[in-house]
Amino acid sequence: MYWAIAAGIEGNLAAYEAFLKDLRQSRLDIEALYLLGDIVGPRKDSIKVIDRIQNPRPGEPEPQVCQGWWEDQCLILHALGRTGEPTQLFDRYGKAMAKTLWDAVPRAAIEWIRNLDFGFSELDCLLIHGTSMGVDEALTPETPVMTILDRLQRMGVNNLFCGRSGQAFDYNLVQGSMQTQVTMLDRPPSAQTVTLPAKRLIGVGNIGHALVRPAMCCTTPAIILLNSKP
Amino acid sequence: MKIAVISCIHGNYEALNAVLSDIDDHKVEQIYCLGDLVGYGPHPNAVVEMVRSLNIPTVQGCWDEDIIEGLNACECSYPSILAEQRGKLAHTWTDQEIHPETREFLAQLPMTLRVDNLAFVHGSPNNQHEYLLPEIDAFTAMERVLGTGADVLFCGHTHVPYVRDLSDGLVKVQVKRSGVSETATQIHVAPLKRIINAGSVGEPRHGRPNATYVIYDPESAEVKLREVEYDYPKTCAAIIDKGLPAIFAWRLARGLEYAERAEDPTHICER
Repeated sequence: MYWAIAAGIEGNLAAYEAFLKDLRQSRLDIEALYLLGDIVGPRKDSIKVIDRIQNPRPGEPEPQVCQGWWEDQCLILHALGRTGEPTQLFDRYGKAMAKTLWDAVPRAAIEWIRNLDFGFSELDCLLIHGTSMGVDEALTPETPVMTILDRLQRMGVNNLFCGRSGQAFDYNLVQGSMQTQVTMLDRPPSAQTVTLPAKRLIGVGNIGHALVRPAMCCTTPAIILLNSKP
Repeated sequence: MKIAVISCIHGNYEALNAVLSDIDDHKVEQIYCLGDLVGYGPHPNAVVEMVRSLNIPTVQGCWDEDIIEGLNACECSYPSILAEQRGKLAHTWTDQEIHPETREFLAQLPMTLRVDNLAFVHGSPNNQHEYLLPEIDAFTAMERVLGTGADVLFCGHTHVPYVRDLSDGLVKVQVKRSGVSETATQIHVAPLKRIINAGSVGEPRHGRPNATYVIYDPESAEVKLREVEYDYPKTCAAIIDKGLPAIFAWRLARGLEYAERAEDPTHICER
């Protein structure tokens, strides 16, 4: 049994169809399909992608979807976000993007977006768009190792799947140790060696950007398939 | 050049005076304060005035923030409903008691201070409400210190002083990237870091009523955890006289450990 985990469709219906086709052709026994956010984006097909996700065809797994950065921007535009102003959207894409996104994701879709999970915790795995700190935090192999460790430990899991960076990678913390000594008022110094259990960060890539370069659309860099019992 | 670091005075003027006298006896060149000047105790204005008049570099504590921003924590910040009720009573009393200039002073305090290789925060570099307990995971503790860019992180908030050294940190990582056949191996070495918790001047929780603070010598890296006796019955009487919950006097007289601490010390309320 496998889980299929992906992120970043960004309103690209053709890319999502290519992904599903790839999944079918893999002939793997897919137990669950997780889509880690950025389902919608500033593309007119965003609503079609939502419809496609809501209505899987016979034999297709029913996707479990969590919120991503673009969904967060939609909620902010509709005054349903955690912040009042879409400052990140303005900073990254300019103010005109607010109108583009507003038009691409109609109000009818907002309630569905609003009800999406922030992430999924399953079998010692956290599946999330960014991190537990927010949808906008991107972890990559270049992120300081202690920050990656902290994000894993905050959620009490040993496997973290995330999609924010758009990169596909498998980052294994295979070994770790540290000396620590605590001195308190009434106790002599106590020293110990702390060892780190194996932990893993998986970047699940990005589906939607693939069709920007059509040569990539039928390859599977955006898909990480994991044995469901890590 | 020795420094003294004080924290969590909580409106306890008697304790602050005693600690300042003790600092005078130790030829300290600079005092730093890690916030929570107000809350629980009967003399918030006097404490703020003392810290201000002495030009003590101070960071904002969680109580200082709540008085400025308004109490916005949910029940997750308290270990029980009774504790929540007491906390809110103390907040309301303090909010009504403090002078405009006290409020102004608290509002302009920074979240962190950085001096050479030393960083000063109230709770943690992330948030004034996060507890860096001595038993917190060593890698998590290391991340908090690394996040400041300093070698020594001074914090308070727990009301129990401690020194924690973190050394010989090593993490081995294997990275496989999409489209790259080889697996890259990285070895990360964490340098020696230290967390020093200054305890609490005005509301100690180490099991005795004495005020606590620390003296640090940056040249020798020597740390002294100081415990100072003071006239705590006087503060207890003032707590009751001012109409604050009597349990604050009761626990101050005992230096009650584990008082009013949320169940999950690393939880940060985002309400």
